[in-house]
Amino acid sequence: MSRVGRIARRLGTYGITLAIVTLIVFLLTAAFPGDPLEDEADHRLPPEYRHALRAQLHLDDPVGVRFARWVTDLAHGDLGVSSRERRPVATILRERLPVSIALNGTAVALIILLAAPLGIAGAWKPGSRWDRIARFGTTALYAVPVFWTALLLQGLFAVRLAWLPLFGTSSAVGISAWSRAADLARHLVLPVTCVALGGLAYVSRFVRTALLDATGGDGGRAIRARGATALRYVTHHGLGQAAVPLLTLAGFLIPRVVSGSLLVEEIFNLPGIGTLMFDSVMARDVPVIAALTLVTGIVTLGAVAAADLLAAWADPRVRRAA
Amino acid sequence: MRPELWRRLLPAWPVALLAAAAAVAPWLPGNPYRTDLGAVFTAPSAAHWMGTDGLGRDVASRLAHGARVSLTVGFATAAGAILVGLPLGAVAGYRGGFWDAAVSRVIEAALCFPALLVAVAILIDPPAWLRALPDPLRVAAALAALGWTPAARYLRAEFLRLRGSEAVLSARAAGAGTLRIVALHLLPRSLGPVLVSAAFGASAAALAEAALSFVGGDTPTPTWGAMLLEAMRQSGRAWWLALFPGLALFATVYGLNGLAEGIRDWLDPRPQHR
Repeated sequence: MSRVGRIARRLGTYGITLAIVTLIVFLLTAAFPGDPLEDEADHRLPPEYRHALRAQLHLDDPVGVRFARWVTDLAHGDLGVSSRERRPVATILRERLPVSIALNGTAVALIILLAAPLGIAGAWKPGSRWDRIARFGTTALYAVPVFWTALLLQGLFAVRLAWLPLFGTSSAVGISAWSRAADLARHLVLPVTCVALGGLAYVSRFVRTALLDATGGDGGRAIRARGATALRYVTHHGLGQAAVPLLTLAGFLIPRVVSGSLLVEEIFNLPGIGTLMFDSVMARDVPVIAALTLVTGIVTLGAVAAADLLAAWADPRVRRAA
Repeated sequence: MRPELWRRLLPAWPVALLAAAAAVAPWLPGNPYRTDLGAVFTAPSAAHWMGTDGLGRDVASRLAHGARVSLTVGFATAAGAILVGLPLGAVAGYRGGFWDAAVSRVIEAALCFPALLVAVAILIDPPAWLRALPDPLRVAAALAALGWTPAARYLRAEFLRLRGSEAVLSARAAGAGTLRIVALHLLPRSLGPVLVSAAFGASAAALAEAALSFVGGDTPTPTWGAMLLEAMRQSGRAWWLALFPGLALFATVYGLNGLAEGIRDWLDPRPQHR
């Protein structure tokens, strides 16, 4: 099969997965027994008004019809209207996403920057003192719940030392754009640290294992026999071969980081999608919940697909077959 | 020389200790619900080994009762994950073709969602059959809804690897049916990686339970997450409120992960991975 055909085939596979992601999101929201008009206050509305509202929000249509309408709207880029705020979901997301993207993007960059050297150090001389220290440290970090870290860091840096703000995203109004950015950065230091620490262990151990898998065996022995130093052997030969599993991991890092950031946003009171999620779940705001789940699902799938296609492009076995 | 299995199980001792505390918690002298407004925020002492909280409740006793919740959720989630993951992984790995493609796509889709977000969405207003379950099992079911993927993936990979092996071919040549081959020849050889994933899953579930009860707010049931929430509200006033539940959670996750790695290393013949 030609390379283009191979990649087209993969794209088709991801199309199917995308359909399943969409279906899961819908099933999740359809399984909610309640709807937004079931509160006490809603029952005191005049019946005709309530029925009009129900019809306007399409609450009484059969499941199949609602799914079809939802997918059609999605295809037109319409995420629906929040039943809590009576505003388009897309507008709300646009307000909330920047904070979460800043938080998670910085955290992912930090994770990769720190985890790669840690993993390389471990794979360089497996079983050495450095390897054992790094392994113990990262396993211990993994076992520390993110909200406990948040608690300790807040207590130390925000309360005792008062170096950094306790929560929120800004501490002053009416300041220049530059100092506003600096202020935001100061507010994000602790949350980013908390999110990054959670993912660090996972990624650094994965890097180590992927490198060991790549450099083990006959190929690795041959390179060593030719006189390559241990470090060169890991960085030059290992990283190239480990690129494929590492790229895949980078894609699947997203849902993990988002899970962690849900809590961190709640603890640090950041106006991102995490706090939005909790507020929407409490208010049974189904359109927003559906949109949030769908957006994270699609972003992850996109990252995984991109990583996979890149890996397929980079893999010499695939290139040769083309 | 591979060290014995029991040596590899050693890291799990804190979990065993907590499990013992959880098992005997109802018969321990302390009462996790009894408030004593005359003794709020007392530091650890002979009467209260781990101090008391803002309502004068005994932290040690709440910790032991919290262990019941955490460990039940952890192990029930792992069991649920195996219950769902084994059949799916087995079908995908053994049948291959369409079945493999179908199960693989569902696994891929499930991996795209943040587990915590989905669990929150399920738990806030669960369907009636879920509501009938006791609290820890309901949480476990919500976590297992996405938690089954590792078990399915590992079993699928093992089945794919073993499907064409001589052991299976000779069994088939001898006239063994599909069920017999799967149950007697494939499953026993593939359970190792599944067990490892179950131990990792149990630790992740214990952590997720704490996170859920941390954001879930005040429940009368003593859980480690709720205890940490109270610690956060009292920030800095009573160090024992944050220390002990945090340590218990740390020991559980660290111990279960150590257990998983121990089993994996014991099963893995490649020496460099240790």
